[in-house]
Amino acid sequence: MTTHAPQATQSVTLPASLDEAVAALGAMPAAVPVAGGTDLMSAVNKGLLRPSGLVGLGRISELRGWHYQDGHALLGAGLTHARMGRPDFAALIPALAASARAAGPPQIRNAGTLGGNIATAAPTGDALPVLAALEAELVIAGPGGARREIPVSHLLAGRDMLEPAELIGFVRVPLLHAPQVFLKATGRTGPGRATASVAIVLDPARRGVRCAVGAIAPMPLRPLEAERWIASLIDWDGERGLAPDALAAFGEYVAAACIPDQAPPADGGEAPPLPPAVLHLRRTVAALARRALGRALS
Amino acid sequence: MSNDAATAANATSTRITTSVTEGPDTEPPALGLGVSLPPADARAKTEGTFPYAADLWAEGLLWAAVLRSPHPHARILSVDTSAAVEMAGVRAVITHEDIPGERAYGRRIVDRPVFASDLVRHHGEPIAAVAADHPDTARLAAAAIAVEYEVLEPVTDPEKAFAAEPLHPDGNLIRHIPLRYGDPDVTGEVVVEGLYRIGRQDPAPIGAEAGLAVPRPDGGVEIYTASTDPHTDRDLAAACFGLEPERVKVVVTGVPGATGDREDPGFQLPLGLLALRTGCPVKLTATREESFLGHSHRHPTLLRYRHHADADGRLVKVEAQILLDAGAYAESSSESLAAAVAFACGPYVVPHAFIEGWAVRTNNPPSGHVRGEGAMQVCAAYEGQMDKLAAKLGIDPVELRLRNALATGDILPTGQTVTCPAPVSELLTSVRDFPLPALPKDAPEDDWLLPGGPEGAGEPGAVRRGVGYGLGMVHMLGAEGADEVSTATVRVHDGIATVICAAVETGQGFSTLARQVVQETLGIEEVHVASVDTDQPPAGPATHGRHTWVSAGAVERAAKMVRTQLLQPLAHKFGMSTELLQIADGKITSYDGVLSTTVTEAMDGKELWATAQCRPHPTEPLDESGQGDAFVGLAFCAIRAVVDVDIELGSVRVVEMAVAQDVGRVLNPSQLATRIEAGITQGIGAALTENLRTARGLIRHPDLTGYALPTALDAPEIRIVKLIEERDVVAPFGAKPASAVPVVTSPAAVAAAVRAATGRPINRLPIRPQAAVAAPNA
Repeated sequence: MTTHAPQATQSVTLPASLDEAVAALGAMPAAVPVAGGTDLMSAVNKGLLRPSGLVGLGRISELRGWHYQDGHALLGAGLTHARMGRPDFAALIPALAASARAAGPPQIRNAGTLGGNIATAAPTGDALPVLAALEAELVIAGPGGARREIPVSHLLAGRDMLEPAELIGFVRVPLLHAPQVFLKATGRTGPGRATASVAIVLDPARRGVRCAVGAIAPMPLRPLEAERWIASLIDWDGERGLAPDALAAFGEYVAAACIPDQAPPADGGEAPPLPPAVLHLRRTVAALARRALGRALS
Repeated sequence: MSNDAATAANATSTRITTSVTEGPDTEPPALGLGVSLPPADARAKTEGTFPYAADLWAEGLLWAAVLRSPHPHARILSVDTSAAVEMAGVRAVITHEDIPGERAYGRRIVDRPVFASDLVRHHGEPIAAVAADHPDTARLAAAAIAVEYEVLEPVTDPEKAFAAEPLHPDGNLIRHIPLRYGDPDVTGEVVVEGLYRIGRQDPAPIGAEAGLAVPRPDGGVEIYTASTDPHTDRDLAAACFGLEPERVKVVVTGVPGATGDREDPGFQLPLGLLALRTGCPVKLTATREESFLGHSHRHPTLLRYRHHADADGRLVKVEAQILLDAGAYAESSSESLAAAVAFACGPYVVPHAFIEGWAVRTNNPPSGHVRGEGAMQVCAAYEGQMDKLAAKLGIDPVELRLRNALATGDILPTGQTVTCPAPVSELLTSVRDFPLPALPKDAPEDDWLLPGGPEGAGEPGAVRRGVGYGLGMVHMLGAEGADEVSTATVRVHDGIATVICAAVETGQGFSTLARQVVQETLGIEEVHVASVDTDQPPAGPATHGRHTWVSAGAVERAAKMVRTQLLQPLAHKFGMSTELLQIADGKITSYDGVLSTTVTEAMDGKELWATAQCRPHPTEPLDESGQGDAFVGLAFCAIRAVVDVDIELGSVRVVEMAVAQDVGRVLNPSQLATRIEAGITQGIGAALTENLRTARGLIRHPDLTGYALPTALDAPEIRIVKLIEERDVVAPFGAKPASAVPVVTSPAAVAAAVRAATGRPINRLPIRPQAAVAAPNA
C-alpha cells in the first residue's frame, strides 16, 4: 500500500488497437487515456486529478511505430521520445529527433510520447515547435473507425478541439530530405525546461524556410514574414550559405516578430521599453534563430 | 602531475573502489583512523533496503494531513472543522485549541505557533491537522476545513520590515549587531563599493520528510522521524503535549541526508498530538510541496559593502551592512547573523571594520539553519569586493588576496585571535599553481560539453572561458556560548564493540568515524553503532561539524576508558603500566613483544562499559559592539573555478573546481572527498540555479522541476588539489569538520569565474542568464 493509492477502485482498460481504445473511451466517457503518464501521473500524485477510469494506450502496437504514405511519414502517437531520438529516426526527421533527445532526463524520454506531448500542449513541450515548423497534421481517430485530419496548430490554438471519445492516432509529417535544426535554451547544463526554443526546417522543393519558436508563448509562434524574407535570399540551387550579417538579421527579425516592442501610448510619445527579462528572452530567441539557421545552411 | 594532485587522485579512486574491497579474497580491511572505511549502511542504501521514516508501518495506523495557509499574511476570522469531523473515516481534527501544552515552539527562540490561531505569517503555515483511516480521506478532510481569512498585505521586502507594522509580538527586528573594530575615521587611497543579493536556497533533502507517532500505554508517545537533533525535538514535543520529557521518546530513523535542520516540527508536533488524541499510531509522509513550504531555507541576504585599501592593495577598512531575511520566525537567525557579521571581511587581515547586521521578520518562507549559514552569503560579497578592488588597482586577484591573507595569530574583526591553524596563503597558492584544464581549441577531438548541455544550443564561437578564485572561512561548533557537549558510551563484550551515542548520522559520516575511533583505540574490528533515541544521553544537533568534533571525541574518551579497564589487570600482572601494552589483531602485546595474550582471554567473559563526555573550551557571546571570543574553531578553503559561459545566451557551465582545504587531519579519505564534492556541488546550485522564488510571499514553484538542483551534468570535475593536515590542537584527533566550508566558498568562486569570463559585475546569486551575457569583443 502506498500513501497515494487511490481510494475508489478504478477501471483500467488496456485495448490492443486504436479503434478498441476509441470504443473504450466512448463506453466510459469519464475515463482518461494514458500513454507515458509523465504529465498525467504527476497530476494524479499531486491530487489535482482523480480519473475514475483509465484507458491505457501502451499496448497499441500500431501507435508505437511509423509508416510511410506518399512522401510523408505517419508517426504513431505512442512513439516515445527515446525511440524518436535514435539515429534511424533522426535520419528521417532530424529536428524532431533533436527535440526528443532534449526532452528531459532518460526516465522521462523512455516513457513520454509524441501524442502525449501534443495532448498536454504545455508551452515548453519540446516537440511542438518542430511540429509547427513541419506543418504537421494530426490524424484523429473517432468512434466507428472515423478518421479526420487537422493541422497541429489548430489543436494547439484551440481552434479545433478533440471531441469526446476521440484520440490522436498519428502525426503526418512531410519527409523533406533537407537539413533541420532544433535548438533549446535552458537555465542549466542538465536536462531542464526550455526558456526558449527554435525549430528551423528547410523545404528545398518549395524553396521555403520554416521556423517556429517555442516556450515563449502558450503555443509555438511562426514568424512568417521573416521566413519568406530569408527564403528569398537563399541561393537554393547553389551553396545555400548566407553571410553572417544576413543570419544575424534573420535572428533579429524572428525575435522582434515573436516578442514585439510595446505599443506606444494612445496619446503619442515613446513606447515604454521592454523589461530586462523580456529583452533577454528576445536576445535569446535571436541568438537561437541565428544559430539554428546557420547550422541548417552550413 | 604534482604529488598533491596524485594524492587527490588516490583519494578519489579509493572512493570509487571501496565497495569492491568487500570481496572475500581481498586483503583484510584496514582499521582505524586514516583509512577509507566504507559506511556500514552503504549496501542497504544502495540496494534500497534501508528503512527510512517513510517506510515505517504500525498495526492499525491512521494517516495524518496538515491544513496549511494559502496566504502569506492573513488574519484568521474563523475555523470551522465540522465538515471534516463528519466525514466518514476521519478520527480526529485538531486546531490550536486542542493543544494541551505550549502552543508555541522554537528550537532556539519560542516564537512559532504549532497551529496558527489568529494570524498567519507565512505561506504554508499549519492551521489544523486531521487523522483518518486513509491518506486521501485525511487530505480531503483537511481541505474540507473552512477557514475564513482576512487577507493582509504581506511584508516581503526585508528593507521595509523595519518600518512595517510588527508581524509578531516580539517585533520585526530579531537581532541587530553593530560590529565596531578600529578607527571609524580612517580612509583608504582606493575605495570600492558593491551591492550584493543572495537568493533563497532550499536544503532540498531528497528523502521524503515523514514521521510516525505511536502512543504508549503510560500515556506518553514515541515519535519515529529523521530528526537531526532528537533531544531538542523531544523537548519541544513534550512541552507542546503537556507531558514530562521522560514520557516522550524521539526515535531517529535513518536520515536520508541532511544539510540543515531536517525535519519540520510543523508536522511532527501535530502527529504526536493526533496519536495522543486517537490512541492510535499516526503517520504522515510530506509531499515535496509541503516540504518546500514547511522547512527552513537559507537566509536571503542583501549586502552593501565598501572596502578601503592602500595603493598596494592592502586592506585598510571594511564597512558593510548585512540584512538577513529571516521569514516569519526567529529559528537560527541570530546565529546566522553572528556568523555573517563576524566573517564579513573574510579570511583577510582588516585593521578597521564597521559591520552592521540585522535579521528581520517578513512574511517570506521561514529561514533557518542550512550549512554554511551566514558565512556563505558574506563570502560571495567580500570575494566580489576583492575582485573589484583587484580590477581597480590593476593587481592580479590572487596576488591581492595573498597580500591580505589571514594567518594564525591574526585578529578577527570580533577581536578574537586566530589560534587554530589558518594556512590561507598556502591554500590559495595551491589552487593557483594547479594546472588549468584544457581549452576546447587545444583538444578539439574531445567531445566538449558546452553550456546548455549535450542537446543544448551552445556554440563554440560564443563560449568564453573564465577562471576565478574564492577564499572562504566558516566556524565550527555552536558559537557564542552554546554548550557543545556530547556524551558517548562504548561497550565491549565477546570481542564486539558497540557505540551508543545520540549523535545522528546525517550523511556526515559520524557512524563510520565512531567505528574507526573504536578500532583505533581498542584494536577491535567489529564495531556496531547503536541506533539513536532520546533514552540515550544527549549529543546535540548534527550541525556545524559538531559530531566529528565533540561526539567522536566523546567516543574516543569512552573507548580509552574501556581500554584502561581491559589492560589494568594485565599491566598489574606483567608489572608494567597500561601505556606499554598494545592491542592489535585481537592480541595484547607488551612493548617489547615478550609478553602476550589474546583479547578474549583478557576479557575473561566480562562485559566492559564506559561513558564519557567531550566538551570544547567555552565561548562567549558577541557584545554590543560585536566583540568577543565567540568561536571554538575556524576552517578555511580556497577554490579555483573554471567556467565556460555562452556570452550570447548567458548560460554557464562549471568546467572544473579545484579545491584546497584546511582539514586538520584526514580521518577517512574517501568520506572526506565525498563531503567536499557534495559541498561544492551544493554551492554550485546556490551560484547558478537554486533559488526558491516567491511572488508576494507565495512560493511559486514548490517542486523539483521549478527548483533546479544540480544534476550529474551540472556538477563539474572536482579536483581536490591539497588537503592541509596541520592539526588543530584543541580538536580531538586534530581534525576539522569539512562539510560546510566548500559550500561557503564555491558560490563565490563561480561568481568570480563568470565575472572573469564576461567582464560583467556579477553581484547577485544565483547568477541569472541576463547577468552573464556580454558583448562579443569583451
